[in-house]
Amino acid sequence: MKKLLLTALLTTLPTAGAATLVYGANGDPVSLEPGNITDGISILVQHQIYDTLVAFKDGTTDTEPGLATKWTSNANATQWTFTLRQGVKFHDGTAFNADAVVYNFSRWWDPKHPQGFRNQGRTFEIWGQLLGGYKGDATSVVKNIVKVNNTTVRFDLNKSSSVFPEVIGAGYFGIASPTAIKKDGAKYGTPASKPIGTGPFIFQSWRTGDRVTLTPNKTYWGTKAKVDGLIIRAIKDSSQRLNELKAGTIDFTSDLTPDALRSVQADRNLTAVKKPSFNVGFLSLNNRNQYIKNDKVREAISMAINRKAIVDAFWNGLGISNASFLPPVLAWANSKNVPATYRFDPAAAKKMLADAGYPNGFSIDLWYMPVSRPYFPTPKPIAEAIAADLSAIGIKVNLKTEDWAKYLESRNKEPGFDMYMIGWTGDYGDPDNFYGAYYGPTASDDINWNPAELQRLLEQGRAAVGRTAKARVYGQLHEITYKANYRLPMVHSQPLAAARTYVRGWVPSPLGSEAFNNISLVGKR
Amino acid sequence: MGSYVIRRLLRTLLVMIGISVVVFAFVRSIPGDPATALLGERATPAAAAALREQLGLNKPWFINFGNLGNPLDAQYPRYVAGLLQGDLGSGLKSNIPVRDELASRFPATAELSIAALLFALLIGLPAGIIAALRRNSAWDNLATTVSLVGVSMPVFWLGLLLSYFFAVRLGWLPPSARLGNETVLEPVTGFYVLDGLLRGQPAAAWDAVRHLILPAIALGSIPLAIIARITRSSLLDVLGQDYVRTARAKGLSARSVTLKHALRNAMLPVVTVIGLQAGALLGGAVLTETIFSWPGLGSWVYDAISLRDYPVIQGGVIFAALVVSVVNLLVDLSYATLDPRIQYR
Repeated sequence: MKKLLLTALLTTLPTAGAATLVYGANGDPVSLEPGNITDGISILVQHQIYDTLVAFKDGTTDTEPGLATKWTSNANATQWTFTLRQGVKFHDGTAFNADAVVYNFSRWWDPKHPQGFRNQGRTFEIWGQLLGGYKGDATSVVKNIVKVNNTTVRFDLNKSSSVFPEVIGAGYFGIASPTAIKKDGAKYGTPASKPIGTGPFIFQSWRTGDRVTLTPNKTYWGTKAKVDGLIIRAIKDSSQRLNELKAGTIDFTSDLTPDALRSVQADRNLTAVKKPSFNVGFLSLNNRNQYIKNDKVREAISMAINRKAIVDAFWNGLGISNASFLPPVLAWANSKNVPATYRFDPAAAKKMLADAGYPNGFSIDLWYMPVSRPYFPTPKPIAEAIAADLSAIGIKVNLKTEDWAKYLESRNKEPGFDMYMIGWTGDYGDPDNFYGAYYGPTASDDINWNPAELQRLLEQGRAAVGRTAKARVYGQLHEITYKANYRLPMVHSQPLAAARTYVRGWVPSPLGSEAFNNISLVGKR
Repeated sequence: MGSYVIRRLLRTLLVMIGISVVVFAFVRSIPGDPATALLGERATPAAAAALREQLGLNKPWFINFGNLGNPLDAQYPRYVAGLLQGDLGSGLKSNIPVRDELASRFPATAELSIAALLFALLIGLPAGIIAALRRNSAWDNLATTVSLVGVSMPVFWLGLLLSYFFAVRLGWLPPSARLGNETVLEPVTGFYVLDGLLRGQPAAAWDAVRHLILPAIALGSIPLAIIARITRSSLLDVLGQDYVRTARAKGLSARSVTLKHALRNAMLPVVTVIGLQAGALLGGAVLTETIFSWPGLGSWVYDAISLRDYPVIQGGVIFAALVVSVVNLLVDLSYATLDPRIQYR
């Protein structure tokens, strides 16, 4: 009786509205201003508010019309023309048109744009990174942005880029209302402003560290939201997100640790969702190290690591190990001459080490990251397992780590790390986004190996039009990098998500996040 | 008394200036810079250098010794100039003014800390008193055991355990956050329980109370244990004093002797500990706020440290130091109330 009374007393509040969708995010957005963010949570929230010119089909990295209904290029992909969707309005009632597109892109590209607010903390660094630099830079991919007419915009490029539509379709580049930016000024994107896009949800409020509240856009041009409201809550701790999901105070969440899979599967109110993998976790080997510069040593290291056993042990069925730097969704760009998986052969590895002149092995540092990342959720035990495999062939591994910011800095400073764990999560669905990030002209200087041939192939890859042409180029890249053994792919992880069973229609994107307008709540009480 | 308070406030001002210099230099001495931390895996040397320049982090720290340069064109003078105008800067990437964040996050932390302290006092004081009065009894042993568990149990573990048991298993309380999904409350003071009442929304106030219970227990567990232990030992010490024996000899009731004579004198060290706990609560709130998704100062500054967000760290630490200084001043002043022999001049 006492328990009943206590329960009644403590649960007298109304329950959540039947059709309010509540997502548990692993933190707070940094900013709601497009182009000025790189973190996953900001992108997720912005996906609800803003549309991009180019969209991606549900659950894939294949492009489809967004705010642009079609796009064409000239023969060498140095000029891209986008036809814009007509009749679309921003949430503030202003019209979406070519002026709005030129305004948004110019803010990111032109350091002298009057509303770029560069002197007030805006950096738009993701634009510079994905598109080679800014207006006036010799390396800038974009040469000019032209309004052809009210529904047509043309981008003139300094160099061929077949991947340009994919790049500007990335979640960073949502189109915001110029009127709203001019009105809010440098406050735009902060909780003191009202972010305005054309997306399926309309911004209502943002309580930092707590939640972002949105309402459906009843006049959305695409699939209209099927819920009465959307709340995106900041719940940093993954165990607590699972608690919230089990308690029914959130409807769905992502970025759970692999060891939560069993708990999710054991709860009949929950459904486990394995998100498509779009990342790679790998070991980088530094050519500055006297042992590692020997080709046979690198091959021996690669052969000594039992990737399958490590992935089985630490990813709980939520990881794939193969011999490619590219995640499975981009497997079309892999070479058929490269085996599907890496060879694991400790005896052959030990012999190869002896052939290299080190029959008794040697000592080397292995650095592991101090933070959990989607590709390496538990870095230290994974590093210990790698060390154990290497010690079996006589290589004594000294495990080391340091603060994450320092870790990222030290890897690029001479002499760098002998061997270290790192990874990458893609921005858009093209092999260039993976190979370019770690082998490209502006990549980290952490392995001290960057032959001109790789740069030539990367240039060719960016210019190649169509999958067949691209696959030919990236296949060569795959073969070269596979044989070189400077970056040893370990895993393509599948981030674990989960939802209450009444959540229907959620198709997670490989690109990290998506708009939630397709989700419905069937029987939520 | 008045001049004492003014002197203490002036001293606090000097302490704040000192802290601002120390924090300013300290955060910049931590290896790893904001540009690298912000860029994450994208942090190539060129990208980090470009971002560093854009953020103005390539300027000298305190004085610009560059040729023909303005000596005050350095980071600290700019920061102080902003401070004098009430501008604490903005988050390096978020551009959210630190002042705005402090205004919304301090009440959250303060509300949680007060609730935790109330919980610690409500349980810790009686537990300590009973343990002292029933020395070596089962009650004493129980209080000692509970104190030990409270001190030694990691807050994050206790927090998750509480949340799992009371929210997931029993469904009595919400697992985390300050308000339920459906509660709409426009803040007045930022103290949600109070705001619910001020806005005439008792349901919202009750919702805020329900959300406070678990984090307050988690955060209050260590202070509870310390308060119980100090109360016990202090009271035992006082109960052995001559004047207590005299009071008893005069025929005063045990209740009167304990509450009027012994307890008041035993409270001095307890009050000192409570003052110290104010600082500890601000520090301890980091874990509690993270576990319970509590949008307070602790989790905010903690995140800023990992991102090397200098303006946020500076603002948060200086503000926390100010709060601790003021609380300690209040504690010092309360001594005079408890013990009339203490006078401040």
